Amino acid sequence: MNERAVRLTVNGTDRDVIVEPRVLLSDTLRHQLGLTGTHVGCEQGACGACTVIIDGRAQRSCLVLTVQASDTSIETIEGVASDGVDHVVQVAMHEQHGLQCGFCTPGIVMSLVAAHRAGIDGATAKHEVLDGHLCRCTGYVNIRAAIDAAWEAAGGGR
Amino acid sequence: MRPPLVGQRVPRVNDHGPLHGTGRYVDDIELPDMVHAAIVRSPVAHGQLTSFDAGVQGAGVTVLGPDQLRSHIRGDLPVLWTLGDQQQHATPVVDEHLRYVGQPVGVVIADSCYLAEDAIEAVELGIDELDPVVGLAEATAADSPLLYPELGSNVLATFEAGDTEAHTDAVFAGADRVFHTTLRIGRVHGLAIEARGIVAVPEPRGKLTIYTSTQTPHAVRDSVCEVLGLAQSAVRVIAPDVGGGFGLKDHIYEDEVMVAIAALERGRPVKWIEDRFESLLATTHARDEMHEVDVAVDDDGTLKGLRVRARRNVGARLAVFGGGPLFTALGVAPGPYRWEAVQCVGQLVATNTMSTGAYRGFGQTQAAFIRERAVDLVAAELGHDPVELRARNMIAPDELPYQMRTMIQFDNGDYEAALRRASALISEGPPPPDDGRARGVGYCSYVQMAGIGPSTLNELIGLSIGGFESATVRVEPDGSVRVATGVSPHGQGLETTIPQLVADELGVDLETIELIHGDTDTTPYSAYGTAASRSLAVGGGATVVATQRLADKIKTVAAEMLEASAADIELSDDRAKVVGTDVGVTIGEVARRAWQGFRLPEGTEPGLVASYSYDPLSATFSYATHACRVAVDTGTGEVRVEDYVVVHDCGKIVNPTIVEGQIHGGVAQGLGAALMEEVFYDDQGQPLSSTMLDYHVPASASMPDIRIEHMEIPSPFTPGGMKGMGEGGTNGAYAAVVNAVCAALPGVDWTELTTPLSPSRIWEAFHGQS
Ligand code: FES
Ligand code: FES
Repeated sequence: MNERAVRLTVNGTDRDVIVEPRVLLSDTLRHQLGLTGTHVGCEQGACGACTVIIDGRAQRSCLVLTVQASDTSIETIEGVASDGVDHVVQVAMHEQHGLQCGFCTPGIVMSLVAAHRAGIDGATAKHEVLDGHLCRCTGYVNIRAAIDAAWEAAGGGR
Repeated sequence: MRPPLVGQRVPRVNDHGPLHGTGRYVDDIELPDMVHAAIVRSPVAHGQLTSFDAGVQGAGVTVLGPDQLRSHIRGDLPVLWTLGDQQQHATPVVDEHLRYVGQPVGVVIADSCYLAEDAIEAVELGIDELDPVVGLAEATAADSPLLYPELGSNVLATFEAGDTEAHTDAVFAGADRVFHTTLRIGRVHGLAIEARGIVAVPEPRGKLTIYTSTQTPHAVRDSVCEVLGLAQSAVRVIAPDVGGGFGLKDHIYEDEVMVAIAALERGRPVKWIEDRFESLLATTHARDEMHEVDVAVDDDGTLKGLRVRARRNVGARLAVFGGGPLFTALGVAPGPYRWEAVQCVGQLVATNTMSTGAYRGFGQTQAAFIRERAVDLVAAELGHDPVELRARNMIAPDELPYQMRTMIQFDNGDYEAALRRASALISEGPPPPDDGRARGVGYCSYVQMAGIGPSTLNELIGLSIGGFESATVRVEPDGSVRVATGVSPHGQGLETTIPQLVADELGVDLETIELIHGDTDTTPYSAYGTAASRSLAVGGGATVVATQRLADKIKTVAAEMLEASAADIELSDDRAKVVGTDVGVTIGEVARRAWQGFRLPEGTEPGLVASYSYDPLSATFSYATHACRVAVDTGTGEVRVEDYVVVHDCGKIVNPTIVEGQIHGGVAQGLGAALMEEVFYDDQGQPLSSTMLDYHVPASASMPDIRIEHMEIPSPFTPGGMKGMGEGGTNGAYAAVVNAVCAALPGVDWTELTTPLSPSRIWEAFHGQS
């Protein structure tokens, strides 16, 4: 039914998929590529759980059609730790108890990793980047503590 | 010897999954041959389904309407709580009488969820519409449409708590003043970020395996078996990683049963994942109550009488715990104060809306709200300081244990100390900027019934499930430890805290202990799973006793190996040692001997495993005072919570970091209900809050940092001393935030108040004053 071939570079590996134009990137990542670490909380663009990094920018994969992501480079939560070394955001989220049920967590980590790499300062990460996500468990207090810790660990951001 | 782990800020052991994408939530499960379901739902709030036409469907699509579904159904879903004159004790899975928008009437199965949703478009429903009734007042009017004509009324039950009318009248007559307030508590949604979902897998020999996002796998199994007429031994329910519950996931829903039927019918695994639209329509809502509150008081500020007449909009049918939340609210309404009379009447009212069920606090949030709001009104009217008025009436430590007039008995604590400390902390907070906003400080002092039990009490109050929890602790032949628990964590950190308890009792490392949970085939029975602030108080209590029994056995076997007396053996650093010597054996050596069965002491069973079911002697009572300062922009009605303190006692604290996390999250939910969260329907019963953009929950910008101080007075009942902490944050925050807004705008007449205090409600209240 009107399917298209799409090439995505996911966590550094080229992946070719055949999808209907209407298929969401979140569904392709999760159900065709088996990358279930990206979560879907609303499909309404509201919660941020589905956030992945597309060509360096944090984006909600439930608001992107797979065909729109053709020829982009996508990073998901599965690709954040490199060579078994966790990103400072992952470390800080664990050490500061920044997650409870963990459902919102991958999206928040991806947004913060993108912000951290982009050199966005800690205050902006805390007050603007995090504000684009909904978490129902933590009340955000310890996620903000994790942002402080991560940015401090990296000397104020790179 | 390592220091005890209980009380330490041990990092959580199960963070790795969500942080690396290796978690396994229900929608992450892929099985060979799996097909996908979508649910056919009522588009109308009230009507009679006269026909169900599957329409023209493509190959590979199966549609099951009411008749096909019913051919598999042998029973109804239970309502576990019976109150007063209640006549409804169960609800059917399929019902042609449509009573709310979103009511499931059929299921469609196709090769993908996209195709299943396409297929729904072709299904035609024939419906004779009936007049709907949406609000509490309309539903109790004489000419209201009836949801259950055979009952003759939309009032499904009326029940009472506390003193008699005559006694209460006498106390009120003897008091200097009587104040009245009308409090309308808005309808909210727990809104776990992971919606519901289920994968049902038919197995050989007529068996069934169900993976589902639930707080309570055993109860799900029991209901499925009841409805489908299957043996409980033939059904296995597994809760994989679960993305939040908050009470929403405390039972199996009709649509989930339909998916299980579809799996049996098709003979293939079927997956259904609720989308957010469905979640807001058809996952239980909560609260939606109207409370008329009278307080009798003397001029010196002595509280004398409390009278509460409350009605709860239960929606289209009773949820699994029926009127339990309102009953619980009335039971704990008196709170930490002495009263001479407390009289409460509750009513459950049916309307053409989604059911209201359990949500974090289970009524105790409302109880704190109505009492603390009323106390603040009294203080304002009499010109008393709200802290001093509370303190003057509080039950003192030497009066405990203390029986409330609703017959519930508090255990121990120091309520006034929590109040005084919270008051001191909030006044020490940073001074507010001079920005023209109105500022107010609000308080809430509550006592929460947690660790609910014993079983005999449950029976007495009409609840048809027991109050115990069980644990099995096993040392494997290599010395590693497996703990199986009936409670079912989904964010509460029990994977860390239960092993902390076990590690200390056995003197072993945390890393060697694995918690087994969330699987009816491998865990002990639990009617509750994880709910009601009871997992660590009751489930942890069971674990402590089971582990102590196992420790005794280890000592017995080690004593034989060491030719010593069991009384002289201590367990520490992974060894069983003779006290005061270096002579010892490792736990692994003891375990190997026990599992070989070689040369065991006379009368000792082989193996190294112990189980215990702990039926609490009494409920436990956590308490706190929350205090917060808000800034209100009277030009827009916008509220900012600027400072927040919590001083609380949840008994023995196993892991302070996790307790604080529970408080943070609870406060966010209380604050949300106070200021922004509201489920709306129009007058035809059409839902108006059907996306996360219409139903607002707090984002980070709405949440202040929270200063928490722990008091730690162990429960006199629970083995281990825990009192329970899952719901306290919510219980305190809702009232504290509303009280702070009211205090910020003292010129407004707050005797009638509706929550949430949204900007528009605040603006109207402020600009309508004078
Ligand atoms: S799932 Fe994409 S924003 Fe919620
Ligand atoms: S940790 Fe559960 S939603 Fe954020």
